Amino acid sequence: MKTTRIVVPAAACALVGAFCAIAWHGLDGAGPNAADVSPWIESAEALGARNVVSSIILGVRILDTLVEILVFTVAVLGVRYFLELPHGRAAAEEIPESRLVGVSAAILLPLIVVIGTYVTIYGHLSPGGGFSGGAITATGLLLVAAAVGAERVGARFHEGAFERVEWGALAALLVLALLPVPFGKAPFTDLLPAGAAGRLLSGGTILPYNLLIGTKVLLGTWVIIHHFLRHRGEI
Amino acid sequence: MTALVLPLARFLFGALTVAVGHGTRVFLVLSAVVDAVLIAGMCTVLRGGACTVTFGGWKGLGIAFSIDIISAAMAALALTLSVAVTLYTWRDRMRPSIAALLHLLLGACYALAFTKDLFNVYVLFELVTLASFLLVGADRRPRQVWASLRYLIFSSFALSVFLFGVAVVYTHGNALDLDAVAAAVARSPGASWVHVAAALLVTGVAVKAGVFLFALWLPLAHSQAPPAVSALLSGLVVKMGVVQLFRLSLAFPLGVPLTVLGILTALLGIVYALWAHDAKRMLAFHTLSQIGYLLVGFGAGSEAARFGVIDYAVAHGLFKALLFLAVGEAAAVVGSSRVERLVAERRLVPRGTRVALAVAILGIIGVPPFAGFAAKAVVESGISSVVIRIFVFVVSAGTVASFAKLWPVVFARSSVRTAPPRAAAYGLLGTAVVLFLPISRAMGPAAVWAATLRGSAYVEALAAIAVGAAAYAWSRRRGPRLPERLFRLEEGVLVVLAGFLLVYALLRGS
Amino acid sequence: MFGWQGVAAAVVLFGIGTLGVVLRRDLVVKLLALAVVNSSAILCLVSLRVRPAAGPPLLGAGATPVMADPLPQALVLSAIVINFAVLALALVFVMRLVEQYHTTDSHRIDRRTRDEDAE
Repeated sequence: MKTTRIVVPAAACALVGAFCAIAWHGLDGAGPNAADVSPWIESAEALGARNVVSSIILGVRILDTLVEILVFTVAVLGVRYFLELPHGRAAAEEIPESRLVGVSAAILLPLIVVIGTYVTIYGHLSPGGGFSGGAITATGLLLVAAAVGAERVGARFHEGAFERVEWGALAALLVLALLPVPFGKAPFTDLLPAGAAGRLLSGGTILPYNLLIGTKVLLGTWVIIHHFLRHRGEI
Repeated sequence: MTALVLPLARFLFGALTVAVGHGTRVFLVLSAVVDAVLIAGMCTVLRGGACTVTFGGWKGLGIAFSIDIISAAMAALALTLSVAVTLYTWRDRMRPSIAALLHLLLGACYALAFTKDLFNVYVLFELVTLASFLLVGADRRPRQVWASLRYLIFSSFALSVFLFGVAVVYTHGNALDLDAVAAAVARSPGASWVHVAAALLVTGVAVKAGVFLFALWLPLAHSQAPPAVSALLSGLVVKMGVVQLFRLSLAFPLGVPLTVLGILTALLGIVYALWAHDAKRMLAFHTLSQIGYLLVGFGAGSEAARFGVIDYAVAHGLFKALLFLAVGEAAAVVGSSRVERLVAERRLVPRGTRVALAVAILGIIGVPPFAGFAAKAVVESGISSVVIRIFVFVVSAGTVASFAKLWPVVFARSSVRTAPPRAAAYGLLGTAVVLFLPISRAMGPAAVWAATLRGSAYVEALAAIAVGAAAYAWSRRRGPRLPERLFRLEEGVLVVLAGFLLVYALLRGS
Repeated sequence: MFGWQGVAAAVVLFGIGTLGVVLRRDLVVKLLALAVVNSSAILCLVSLRVRPAAGPPLLGAGATPVMADPLPQALVLSAIVINFAVLALALVFVMRLVEQYHTTDSHRIDRRTRDEDAE
């Protein structure tokens, strides 16, 4: 239709252009000098962590992080629920892989797992944390799935137990958060000591949170990858 | 402190539901009990006045929860609706994952009722979006899948606009907490960044709150979803958007845009509802029009109007949920949700459902002394402008006119019994609608009520009903063809952008 | 390098992404455009507080006298994960729709659902 061909694109360009102009006008302004970083530094020192960003996401603004983990969990739930194969229907055909990928996967997998675990554990001392570490380790699993096929890797994990462990990690996270409540303190207060800055066992509850988050992200990302690989080419 | 524990407890029950695998109903009941205890504890604290609590005690840096009458009212509404939905779906075998989604959705709504931090609002709305989007498509039928996908695209787009607003606020105001932002705005009220930030934030929230220009996804999503999910969406989730609009209006000068948007929303919603053929779509359009009514109340600004708006928001949540549940069951029994078929085959509809429908309709059209009448009276007593009062009258009459076509379903000679759990759900909500007046009188400031329930309020309500009935008789002729293209995805996004420009222009002009 | 250039790029990307969502009929392209829109908001947040010669927000041995603002970085961490989750779910839904209707054209799917609705 004529109107669709002309009116809609013209209106779109006009509206989008106006929006961008106004947004740019609003963002123009106060320069970087306005930021005062010292409150964050103080909070990081109080928590005993070296990584200030970690002390924010797992200390001061931990509710945001918790809700974000819930968003991730809901996404994994959705992927599982909507990509369920009905009974008796086989997954997509496997694409035969080359020997080169198989050999390099065997060499790289231990390296990737070690690096991923390191990034998770040292999240409070250097940039990293549960999210990046879990994603790195999941990439290792993806590499192996590319080498030997997603079904073979998936067959090693019992599906039902997988879901329970994933949500069990989430439940453990929440229990850890609510633990101070019976003692009369607010949720999310640190029960563990801050420790000496720079050592591994410091930072209060940041380390346990990072471990739980790393587990969760690893399992969740693997579920997403697995289901997407199983469904490819099914049109 | 109980307010901090409330959403976390819900999340924990959700996680346990899937981690343990069975005992879904046990967890639903247990979490309802825990929530009731926590909310009761919070109300006792509230007697001493409103307060603000920060997570972890990080004053000024962390996320603050505000415990005041709005959050208490919304939390109570959320709990009531969740119990009603639990009872309604008692006999359906719910998978643990779906039950977990319900828990997470409710926990996020609890947190949204309290939170005062802008980025926290963003993250919580994303959780609400994803959880409700999955619930809308829960039956996995293709129509629902398409409705949910459109909802997701709209919401995601709008929340990115919201994030731009957060960026503007952080650049100039250096804070994300709404109290600090309000202080920054007060320092320079006419600055251009205030207008841009307010327009961006309002656009983002309005898409979730059901404001007409922004919420064009709403009619399709709410009408395609399973009845229990529609009840939660229309009754609860939309209210959380309204609560956040309210909190934004305390920080930014949003009086004029809210009033204009409210009038537009209410009128357009009524027009589409009058000539809608599908019962569930009509209910969804009604949600839009009543949100407009709430916005006008906020825009009016007086304390009585604000209290009335909260009152009406709770009342609307109750009777809209009851309507969706009753109409949903009727549609499931009859096999179609078109109004003609519901009226034609009303013998099949169980007795309890018809009673519930009757109570809900009486509530929504404002028959004294049920819920809608009580709350409307309070809002109107706070509005001084005559034009707006006439407009409110017109909207009330329009509501009556559009529900008149559903009213015949109530009268039928049938002896089909309603299943006990569903009857319990209807009973809970119906009692709340009927007893709304005494309950809210007990909880609200006495001065407001004294000025409100004069004779004129009763006269106005009955007059609106009379005019509405007459309008219904007139509208039975074939109605105009209303533009449907507006509700497509592409046009919808453009309309959202146009709405943003409108809000910005109104802010600049005022 | 970032700073105002990043913010300008973010605004432009938002515009491109929105035009993509509105003007293209293919569902997968719409989702890609939506991903661009979401990423533009993140880019905007990250480019806000850029100071010359600012070091990473780390205490101890790696600290520099001028430290970058850690708050936008913390916000962006959450936003990235959320965008990933939204994109994954949207793709899943597109897969289900394509399975049912054998087309990725959004107008055709809209018309077919509306026809089913009218029955």
